[in-house]
Amino acid sequence: MRLNRRTLFRTGTAAGLGLLSPHLALGADKTLTIALPNNPTTLDPIQISNHDAMAITNAVFENLLEVNLDGEPVPCLARAMPAISDDALTFTFDLRDDVVFQNGQKFTAEDVKYSYEYMLDPKNRSVRRTLFSPIERITIESPTRVVFRLKHPYRPWLQYMTKFMGIFPKGSREAAGDDAFKSAPANLGTGPGVFVEWQPDTQIVLRKNANYWRRGVPDWDRVVAKIVPEDATRLAYLMTGQAQIISAPPPRDFARLRTTPGIQTGSKVALGGMWFMQTNTRRAPFDDVNFRKAVSCAIDRKAIAQDVLYGLLDPTATPAPTATSYHNAKADEALGYNPARAKDHLARSKHASRPEFELLVPSIPYLFDAKDSAVVMQSQLAAVGITMKITLMEQPQILTRAIAGTQVACLLPLMAPSDPTFIIQICYTADQIMSKSSGYTSPALDAAIQESYRYTDSARLDPVLKRIQDILAEDCPNIWLGFVGVANAWRSEVTGFRPNTGLSMWLRDVKLG
Amino acid sequence: MWALLSRLLGSAAVLVAVSLVLFALIHANPVSPARVVLGNDASEEDIAQFDADNGLDRPVAEQYLAWASRSLRGEFGRSLVDDTSISRTIAQTMPVTVELVLWAFLLALVLAIPLGIVSALHEDRWVDHLARALATVGVSIPGFWLGLMLIAWGAVGLGWFPAGGYVPWTEGALPHLRSMVLPAMALGLYYVAIISRMTRSAVADVMMADHVRVSRAMGLGRGRIMVYILRNALSPIVTVAAMSFGYMFGWALIVEQVFTLPGMSRALLNAIFRRDYIVILDVVLIITAFFLAANIVADLLYRLLDPRIAE
Repeated sequence: MRLNRRTLFRTGTAAGLGLLSPHLALGADKTLTIALPNNPTTLDPIQISNHDAMAITNAVFENLLEVNLDGEPVPCLARAMPAISDDALTFTFDLRDDVVFQNGQKFTAEDVKYSYEYMLDPKNRSVRRTLFSPIERITIESPTRVVFRLKHPYRPWLQYMTKFMGIFPKGSREAAGDDAFKSAPANLGTGPGVFVEWQPDTQIVLRKNANYWRRGVPDWDRVVAKIVPEDATRLAYLMTGQAQIISAPPPRDFARLRTTPGIQTGSKVALGGMWFMQTNTRRAPFDDVNFRKAVSCAIDRKAIAQDVLYGLLDPTATPAPTATSYHNAKADEALGYNPARAKDHLARSKHASRPEFELLVPSIPYLFDAKDSAVVMQSQLAAVGITMKITLMEQPQILTRAIAGTQVACLLPLMAPSDPTFIIQICYTADQIMSKSSGYTSPALDAAIQESYRYTDSARLDPVLKRIQDILAEDCPNIWLGFVGVANAWRSEVTGFRPNTGLSMWLRDVKLG
Repeated sequence: MWALLSRLLGSAAVLVAVSLVLFALIHANPVSPARVVLGNDASEEDIAQFDADNGLDRPVAEQYLAWASRSLRGEFGRSLVDDTSISRTIAQTMPVTVELVLWAFLLALVLAIPLGIVSALHEDRWVDHLARALATVGVSIPGFWLGLMLIAWGAVGLGWFPAGGYVPWTEGALPHLRSMVLPAMALGLYYVAIISRMTRSAVADVMMADHVRVSRAMGLGRGRIMVYILRNALSPIVTVAAMSFGYMFGWALIVEQVFTLPGMSRALLNAIFRRDYIVILDVVLIITAFFLAANIVADLLYRLLDPRIAE
């Protein structure tokens, strides 16, 4: 090659471009970028409590069952739905024999037994252990067949399996340690995404699992989950193409997004997505049922749903979505908005002379931004003479306090499986993750919940669920506000994505145009 | 030299005083760190174990000395909330904040000083009125809102810059610089207003001074007179600029949050929401150190600009 001015210019230009953007030299890969508001506290599938983070962990870890986009359990690592014995105590799963973990280890029944027994061992302090405590024993019949025996009928556990647990290789806890599961679970799952890196408060990166057992899936080569707490910035990420899918779009912008060219939106009321004021019945002023009822009747849920959340809330004063067959309208009416009744309850309360309390509100949106709603509630409560002080706090810290039962009141949205008793079970029965947050128990409620576990058909289940709502309306342990819609917005180049009632984002089947 | 040494000693004393006040404030808090982390329902045994594990059961003076000596060595300990290494957090986040502040500071100086000079040279004319109006708007706009407007303009509207996020140098100089433009503008524009008003005022004052009038009467060139004016007007500008540099570390908290930059100020904001007192203590102390360092540099600049101060 001759060294002349032209050669020097070309070389210089190439070097300059390389310096300015080394990515030009790399082969183009299909990167799916999503924007989530919350920084996860853990990626361990047996410890996770953050719905946003589950979008990541459910791409890394899988279970015997998963939920489809409509929230119904369908087989995943199991070949089919389990065979259930007549007494509803024995569940036999036939497993797929073509699955390998990301570390190359073949998936067998041994891994299922190991994973569940690890999670059920109290010394491992899994936050979801109590949900699975009705499991009496797990038996391996063959490398591809595992049998779960329950202590008593327990309808919801298959739903719980889809969300609160993941299978990891036998021996991996001892080999990798819990810290690896918490912050860098590389090669520990069977899912379509392999963990690459986590930069706290910045991003989590997954790469495609080239040996994923579902052939041709996923379409993407990498997933980059950006942590973007600010609503407006997250929206700008979507508008500028910095992110292809965003979680928790701001409600006030959601209607406008529906008609924005190049942007698609979707929302779905989640049967398990309850939003409520978790009040502690063991702490003043919520130790008085009349005070609790006064607060419940003072809040105009419909106004908040319409004017603050722009329709992304199904308002109800009972723990049941209004469109379901088991919604108890009478209970809803008894605790619903009625300022005169609120004042009457307040007058009968032992805290009538000093009606004030502190409400912990998530500082960063979790599912949606609740700060505006909290301010509206504050004014609605003031109208009946109740003073509410708002304290902003990160959602994980609120959850920590609620789990410890040290909060007076906090605003919590929970994204649960679709089973109608989940939230009632974890908040109002003994030894559950949120039991201390309500401080409430009721033998009548316990009996009704146990009865409900025996039924799967709505003809027998609905009357029990309505009775449960009657009990809860009478005691009013918490202030139920409504059921949130899972809402997402995504760019048109993304296909195969829809919001679903089980997870905030189901990334496996997303395709990039 | 002695002056510099005494200034350094003075700054060290201020740093010690600030650290004492911060430490005292944290210990004056009726809710102990153990209660924050473990909750009010935690047993006394759990609280005692937590305190023992984290050295919180020792006398306060001993805790302070241990913390101060660790901090001097650059070992900031571990977060009480999530057990992450604070030194690692600071090492990862500080370069982002320092770079953001440097760009914003540069932007402020490059825009503010010419604007202030032009304004002073055309006192009470339309240029001056326009500059004054811009300065008033500049100091009135909340940084948070300005950040959002810049995103709407530069990222969503024009598509020239990313809406947020930090692109490291390793991913290319151009993408990196593009990711810093809007945050630097959001942080720097407020100080454009402050420094330009100070420049205008200082230049206008010096223009009325006797030596400037004598210089004009002697028929010196306009450019040479401007050099004299600027050299005499720079001291108050340096003071305001140094103060602004320090303040920028505080305001970066808002800007980093809006633009999702993984900087030290955002780590501070997260620590505030998490009630992670030890992280708050360490980060505030580092910001204080930057503030003091900026003032020391300003002192040195005074001496360079005006030898009479050194004498």
